[in-house]
Amino acid sequence: MTEDKKQLLEQMRKSVIEFEEDRVKELAQKWIDLGYDANEAIFEGLAAGMEVVGELFAKNEYFVPEVLMCADALYAGLDILRPHIKAEDRAETKGVVVIGTVEGDVHDIGKNLVKLMFEVAGFEVHDLGKDVPLEKFVEEQLRTDADLVCLSAMMTTTMPGMKRVIEMIRERNPNVKIMIGGAPVTEKTVEMYGADATGEDAASALGEAINMVASLREMKRKKEI
Amino acid sequence: MWGSNMSPKDRVMNTLKKKEVDRLPVFSGMGNVTVAGMQKYGIDFSSSHADATMMATLACSTYELFGFECAVVPFDLCVEAEALGCEVNLYAGKQNILYPTIKTKILKVGEELHVPENLLEQGRIPLVEEAISLCKKKLNGEVAVGSYILGPFTLAGQILDLNDLLKSSFKKPKEVEALLGQLVEPLVDIANAFHEAGADYITVREMGAPSDVISPRMFKTLVQPYLKDTIAGIKAPTILHMCGDTNMLVEMLHECGASAISVEQKNDVAATRSKLGEEAVILGNLDAYGVIVKGTTEDVESAVKAAIDAGVDGIMPGCDIWPEVPGENMHALISATEKCGAKS
Repeated sequence: MTEDKKQLLEQMRKSVIEFEEDRVKELAQKWIDLGYDANEAIFEGLAAGMEVVGELFAKNEYFVPEVLMCADALYAGLDILRPHIKAEDRAETKGVVVIGTVEGDVHDIGKNLVKLMFEVAGFEVHDLGKDVPLEKFVEEQLRTDADLVCLSAMMTTTMPGMKRVIEMIRERNPNVKIMIGGAPVTEKTVEMYGADATGEDAASALGEAINMVASLREMKRKKEI
Repeated sequence: MWGSNMSPKDRVMNTLKKKEVDRLPVFSGMGNVTVAGMQKYGIDFSSSHADATMMATLACSTYELFGFECAVVPFDLCVEAEALGCEVNLYAGKQNILYPTIKTKILKVGEELHVPENLLEQGRIPLVEEAISLCKKKLNGEVAVGSYILGPFTLAGQILDLNDLLKSSFKKPKEVEALLGQLVEPLVDIANAFHEAGADYITVREMGAPSDVISPRMFKTLVQPYLKDTIAGIKAPTILHMCGDTNMLVEMLHECGASAISVEQKNDVAATRSKLGEEAVILGNLDAYGVIVKGTTEDVESAVKAAIDAGVDGIMPGCDIWPEVPGENMHALISATEKCGAKS
């Protein structure tokens, strides 16, 4: 890797961490103008930065407002880089995801971050938004033939809705993977509700979302070796 | 010295005033309606938000059925935002239990807030006042009646897009401060109206600002000043409740000047007690879902005991009681407090 490239990636990473949206845009544009690979900047620049943001959040150095601003910076870079992703990378779709916050719950910060991570990783994401009627998840899964359905609930009071969605989806289509997330969700909930997974840091939807980048980057690295 | 003559109301009110009690009270500053109460009176949850008699009946039923020592109305967190002009979804007709949510936000950061002149006649404020007086009448001075308002920051999160509020708190703190300042007076007016209608105590719920969400530094500069002003304006005894991680915030919560603070299970109560001293009134910190709903009766009893050993002045769930709470756990909650909470 040339010095120049390395430096650009490092600056991109740093600018995501320091939520410098305009700087991220500049750097992403420069990257494209120099004819480098867009996917590399997304993973080794933007996503690498977000991974550090996750660590800062876990350490109580960053809080939700900071994470939201970092996500904005990441999106700004993604908007510039995404149209330049090489056709062969694009063809390699990771899968189709349906995501949303269950009925009765209007919290969408965690859900939006998880969505961002899927977009970074190259999934096709169908976002149903928040306060989504339970049947809507089932319909959307069938319509899009999604491989993965992600349900979010931030309150213990709305969490039981996830169980009902899982039952309805399983009834029609037992092979769909279902991830659940949100502050009250634990490994025990996953088991109790018959879901497939939740993030490592189940205590926090944000940490969970950001952890996913780390594992996606890990997967990517392994594939390259 | 009190024998069994102390009424649940005196137990609660004395606790809030740090006066003597025969044993710790077991009550809440937040919702405590149960499915058992709904079944007994044939009232469904979604209808109860729009009917004062139903609301009062359900609020009192938790004392009638289980001896839980209070009646608290309303059951949702949208009353103030609705009075300020937000549209609310009560999920009318839904069979499963869904708490009302805000459908439309009325403001963006930087925009002027217009508080209706006749604020106390807006939305469901008159209905909640009526429910409070009905509870008062029903309970006849035997049991305390509580009500609650949101803290200014949490209310801002109801009337504004939450992403916008959180980012602006960082980028444009002056504009957020201006808005929070404007929310103090309406909140104080609503709280005092509820007090005049008969609420013996008022809980201020600032659940949008724990250190899971914003930094303690931001809590201090942005949230605390307006919480202080709100609490200072309320004429009733007050409980400041905050869920989430409050370990770094308890001194600041205490400084807000409420009669008591209430915390959830993420709070290390023994550490909080040693930080705040014997004079502070600390309520809490039972896990409202993991223990009270999902635990066994033994889990409930050991959680009560642990909270008392850690130094709470009253047993309180860390959040609204989830209505589908098993009846035996409610009984265990009360009997464990009776057993372990006696003051010798």
